[in-house]
Amino acid sequence: MKIFLLFATVCLWNQSVLVVTADASDYVLCAGGTLAKLASGGAQITLVRVTNDDKDSVNLLPEETANRVRQESEAAAKELGIAKVIHLGYRAGELGGVSPTELRDRIMFYVRLTKPDVMFIPNPYAEYVEVLDRHYTGMAAEEARRTATMPNHQPAHAIAGLSPHIVKELYYYSAPVDPRRREPEGPAQFVPQPVVRDIAGTFTRKLRAAQALTTINQAMAAAIHRRLEDTGRRLPLFDRGLTESAVAKLVEENVRGLAALCAKDTQFRQAEEFHHAGPDYQVPLRYSGAAKR
Amino acid sequence: MYHALGILALAAPLFSQPLGDIPPGKTFLIVQSHHDDHTWQWGFSGFAARLVDAGWRGYFVRTTNDEKDGGAGWGKNDQTNLRESREAIRALGLTDVISLNWRNDHMESVPVKEVRAQFILLLRKLRPDVVMTWDPWGHYDRNPDHRMVSRAMGEALWLAGQWNVHPEHRDLGLVPFRPGRVYYTFRSDYGKGHGYNVAIEFNDAQMRRKADAYWAHKNVFNTPDEAKRIREALAVRNLAIPELAGLSDEQAIERIRRWEIEFASRETARNLGVSFAEKFWMVNEFDGLPGLKDYLQKKAVKR
Ligand SMILES: [Zn+2]
Repeated sequence: MKIFLLFATVCLWNQSVLVVTADASDYVLCAGGTLAKLASGGAQITLVRVTNDDKDSVNLLPEETANRVRQESEAAAKELGIAKVIHLGYRAGELGGVSPTELRDRIMFYVRLTKPDVMFIPNPYAEYVEVLDRHYTGMAAEEARRTATMPNHQPAHAIAGLSPHIVKELYYYSAPVDPRRREPEGPAQFVPQPVVRDIAGTFTRKLRAAQALTTINQAMAAAIHRRLEDTGRRLPLFDRGLTESAVAKLVEENVRGLAALCAKDTQFRQAEEFHHAGPDYQVPLRYSGAAKR
Repeated sequence: MYHALGILALAAPLFSQPLGDIPPGKTFLIVQSHHDDHTWQWGFSGFAARLVDAGWRGYFVRTTNDEKDGGAGWGKNDQTNLRESREAIRALGLTDVISLNWRNDHMESVPVKEVRAQFILLLRKLRPDVVMTWDPWGHYDRNPDHRMVSRAMGEALWLAGQWNVHPEHRDLGLVPFRPGRVYYTFRSDYGKGHGYNVAIEFNDAQMRRKADAYWAHKNVFNTPDEAKRIREALAVRNLAIPELAGLSDEQAIERIRRWEIEFASRETARNLGVSFAEKFWMVNEFDGLPGLKDYLQKKAVKR
């Protein structure tokens, strides 16, 4: 599709990548294939997981839910080749009550610590993404990328050896629910552009990562099952209960469905969609490579 | 909301969305900020009247106390607007008005969690099949109460189905619940706004009840001075509206109010081949799971 910038894979050997996610599943489902590809190329990836996912489970207390999801999200990250997971531990569903500046500064700490070349953050502008923790996290992460460059933010960081840092590239990810997500939004110099990345080579790793999140997946399956039951329907897949294999199969359908949806109208079979702010983003034209050419 | 005859200059964005049908179910819940939000041109009252005629039970949540809306002073405005919102829902055939009485025009300073907690309790107790509310992704609505209700309701819809959110509700025998369909509305006259994906048709009788419900809000809409100003402005240009001839300003303003709400419903229906309609952004049961939506559509069967 012509509105897309379908660009070639760039060699990211030894690049540092920082991924920010509101919850354990969002970045896996939206960016897992692309991240696995970067990891295979030698990128050092750090994940900052903002909430503890303590709310959504089946018959588990919040504390138990949080503990399990923490372990499962470590396993999912490992599948993708992510080197390190930082758990900020905010309670799920409660970011609307957290100071945006506090959240921003905690993320900024990791920008300055890991000095990423590339960041992946939730797209706070994606409409109809109902998990609003993703919106709050995206807003904070987007700000963190900016403030990390400015020495007047958190001067104590300098005392502790954390210097300002410019992140050259930024990917915004989100579930493909925004009806206008593929519309271009203005010049690339000022506005991140919609892009699609091929994930056929890493699809299996993405799927395994998604399946590792068993507590979240059980809750998703239970919610679907409940909705169908309440409305006089059933899913034959669940006829023998919400077994481990039935839930794994449901997750596979989900990951396949997402990959197909993102690949729609492109030359790819399986893909992920992003909004991408490249190296020229917010750089005055006269300083950018484009002008020199 | 604060209202002027600017409504007559309704800017209806071009749209050619399909006419929606009545979804399966029996209970609907309208959650808005103010006493009259459901009855005006960005409201749900034609749709509500149609659901009532199809046998549904409906509830209207007035989140604020509407103390600023009207010329009667805070306490009096609150009470009058509440009474009139009860008259309005009677015209439409809804079951009840649930007034949460948050302070009008001060909702931006309320913690979102406090508001959403009340919404979650209502969702779990009433278990509505359809929810109608302000769109959290609507653009440019500068009303602080619309903004907060949209955000708090957006969070409530996301979280009411999760076990560890307000576990105290289980002591009331309430279990997690997620409505099947949500219809969002928002000011379409501010900026580009957002698109619509569905229009709901309603008939002449339902239109009359919608106009009755709108006019029930006399504390804010019964403004004879406005009828007087309109007629004076026309007279300067040697113009008059024949239908208003012989009517007092009090009678004329009622006629004008009924016209304006009917005009809005007709404008929305234009190009749809029906007389009256309202338009919304509809989120269906599995829209939040884009990867599974088609699969569930294909594989789910009747029990
Ligand atoms: Zn209002």
